[in-house]
Amino acid sequence: MIKLDHVTKKYGTKTAVQDVSLDIAAGELFAFLGPNGAGKTTTIKMMCGLLFPTSGTVSIGGHDLCRDGDRARQLLSYVPDQPFLYEKLTGREFLQFIADMYGLSRAQSAQRVAEMIELFELHEFIDDLTERYSHGMRQRTVFAAALVHEPRVLIVDEPTVGLDPHSVRRLKDLLRRQADRGTTVFLSSHSLDVVEELADRIAIIEHGRLVACGTLKALRQQAAVDGPLEDVFLTLTRPLEDKVTKP
Amino acid sequence: MNQALLFQRLRVQLLRNSWHVMVRQSSMRPLTILLCSLIVWVFVFTISWGGFLFLHTEIGVPLTGEIVGILLDLLFLSLAVLLIFSSGLILYSSLFTSPETAFLLSSPVAADQVFAYKFQGAVAFSSWAFLLLGAPILIAYGLVCEAGWYFYVLLPLFFLGFVLLPGSLGGLAALLIVNYFPKRRKQVLGTCLAALALTLTVWIYRMTTASPSELWRDEMREAVTRLLSYFQFTRNPLAPSHWVSLGLRRVVRGEVGVALYYLALVWSNGLFFYLIAAVASTWLYRRGYNRMTTGSDFWANGRRLLAARDAVSQLAGSTRRQMPAVRREFWMDRLLYGVLFFAHPCTRLLLIKDFRTFRRDPQQWGQILAFCGLMLLYFLNIRRFVEDVSGPYQNSISFLNLCAVALLLCTYTGRFVYPMLSLEGSRFWILGLLPFQREQLLWGKFAFSLTGGCLIAGGLVLASDLMLLMPILPVLLHLLTVAVLAAGLSGLSVGLGAIMPNFRENDPSKIAAGFGGTLNLVAGLLFLLLILGLMAAPWHMGAYLAMIPLLSEIDPGPALLSWGFLGTGVVLGLFAGIACVILPLRAGVRALREMEF
Repeated sequence: MIKLDHVTKKYGTKTAVQDVSLDIAAGELFAFLGPNGAGKTTTIKMMCGLLFPTSGTVSIGGHDLCRDGDRARQLLSYVPDQPFLYEKLTGREFLQFIADMYGLSRAQSAQRVAEMIELFELHEFIDDLTERYSHGMRQRTVFAAALVHEPRVLIVDEPTVGLDPHSVRRLKDLLRRQADRGTTVFLSSHSLDVVEELADRIAIIEHGRLVACGTLKALRQQAAVDGPLEDVFLTLTRPLEDKVTKP
Repeated sequence: MNQALLFQRLRVQLLRNSWHVMVRQSSMRPLTILLCSLIVWVFVFTISWGGFLFLHTEIGVPLTGEIVGILLDLLFLSLAVLLIFSSGLILYSSLFTSPETAFLLSSPVAADQVFAYKFQGAVAFSSWAFLLLGAPILIAYGLVCEAGWYFYVLLPLFFLGFVLLPGSLGGLAALLIVNYFPKRRKQVLGTCLAALALTLTVWIYRMTTASPSELWRDEMREAVTRLLSYFQFTRNPLAPSHWVSLGLRRVVRGEVGVALYYLALVWSNGLFFYLIAAVASTWLYRRGYNRMTTGSDFWANGRRLLAARDAVSQLAGSTRRQMPAVRREFWMDRLLYGVLFFAHPCTRLLLIKDFRTFRRDPQQWGQILAFCGLMLLYFLNIRRFVEDVSGPYQNSISFLNLCAVALLLCTYTGRFVYPMLSLEGSRFWILGLLPFQREQLLWGKFAFSLTGGCLIAGGLVLASDLMLLMPILPVLLHLLTVAVLAAGLSGLSVGLGAIMPNFRENDPSKIAAGFGGTLNLVAGLLFLLLILGLMAAPWHMGAYLAMIPLLSEIDPGPALLSWGFLGTGVVLGLFAGIACVILPLRAGVRALREMEF
């Protein structure tokens, strides 16, 4: 469903992503990890069609994002780390706008908006302007908007930041349920416990290069660590000088 | 749903909800805005109506003739240039830097639909000034010319068709600059503005060398012909501004058929250029966003060239290596730190922070620079317009110039100083936790505003008075008036900014346009009128009365009386200035102390 083929992205003379290849199947919950500045957000932005690769190709559902971007974007939803809401729209108006933008019919959009309100328990504030929402309310509304058109690919960047434990639990259940229904979930996060609990496969990127990709078991083998994901991650992303001195 | 309709519905919903919020929060704000707009509209209409009537009845200039035609040509050409720049700038920020951009570009919406949505908003926003300033002029023109009803029907149609063209050119320029100069877009814009300013300066210089004072010595007809020749460029048959001017004059003459031809010409060209811009957006919008975010090969090559040049310089042992940016800017901060020797060290540090923020945002200082530049250009050329700078001309022009500078100062404090505290926004807690008293924060902003205001306005007034060869007393009086104005307006803006902060908004223009900003502007204008009336007007009135020989011979009272007025006015003005510093700042300090964040 998501395919990155030898993707390289340069920012001027600096290489942000270098020769990354990924192939993620439908219904897979794929986690993308890496230290700050490793190239995670750049990769995600290329998958959404916001940025174009300097070389290589990115395709969603078989549609190349450079050549056939609008069709590819029709299949996906992107929830960035700092999501956007129109401050002067109510939650309901925003959901309706998203449903219309993705071409849902009047009946379909009414049904889906009602389902999302139910699913995310938005009743109490859905008719208030979003400028009055708290962080948690905003996050729930953003996820409702992301799922209202039933995307085949859901790309989520740092979704757990600022959420209380109940909301995190609900979010984890939601992501798992989406993957079980056949949606490809691409999750970028620093919350290693969430990733460890949810991910089918995990990729780790460092300095723009993919240093590991596979199941947690495969990553443990690669790192030669039999502990939690945190230990695996720290081993695989250890600075080079540490790797030389402490094999 | 059709994407174009979808965006129209979004716009309607956003406007409707914003209106409801504004009315719910305070019905005073829309009323104030409406009232102020109405006052400006009526003022411009009255001046224009009187002007056209004077031209027509007193001087006998035919209103559908060439002289008025040139005036209309100039009006529409100026409007076109302003629209190109303003719509280009607004489109650049809304297409490439607004938070909405990433959201829309990651959706399946077509790039040209996003462009169209943003284009409509940008053109509407940048051309509203025409409704306020252009419409009363043209309606007054139609009334004086006794134009038929069709003039008032065709006028908005001409305008709507006309704004499409400069708006499209501005949008196209924004797309091209971001695509081909993604990391040097500010430099390109600066170069364009500098080129425009240079052209304007050369034109004004050439025109003023044929100023009326010299022209009166020539034969009238010859002189006017010579003067009009300097406006010939506005009458280019290919200029859309000329088509609008011609079309409107034809409507006034009752030649509706010809006018409709020009209307069709304006619309067809406007739509054609819009089409070009929209088609270009399908290719360039997403690509431009990508290039702006990541830098382009062009820029990369440029950096490689710079690196190579530095390497060559090092090898050659050259000492002329470019200083790093931080070092280049450092002297400005040090200079400001030295100039503000009188302030507390903490206050000075805060001022440096504010100065850095201000300096690094060209959108902020660019507008002030443009206004000051134009005003300075006018002051330096006063002598070309008025040969005899003694007597009533000197007196009235120097006072009017002082009023213009005072208005500029009022705009500066309202637009830039008032939003300063609100702009601390979500970072305000950092300042709140710093180990100094909160009032120092306000005093810092006050000192920043006062220093900037005194330097800018004082410099301008001094330039005006020196060019007008004013005596020393009024020069000193003007400088004192400017200082009191700068202090009072700064006190008002900083104080009210602390009493009514808006931490949710990041755009200073929106903070300034809010309820608090509007209140500050109205209060500032009232204070300005008071100070000018108390401190500067008495001297000018006295000087004017002294110029009437018969009056001073019969009764020297009025002249003597004006000295009494002068002294009293200056003292009262000083008290008013001190009150406008202390009262708002005290209230602001109280509000700041009680503020929770």
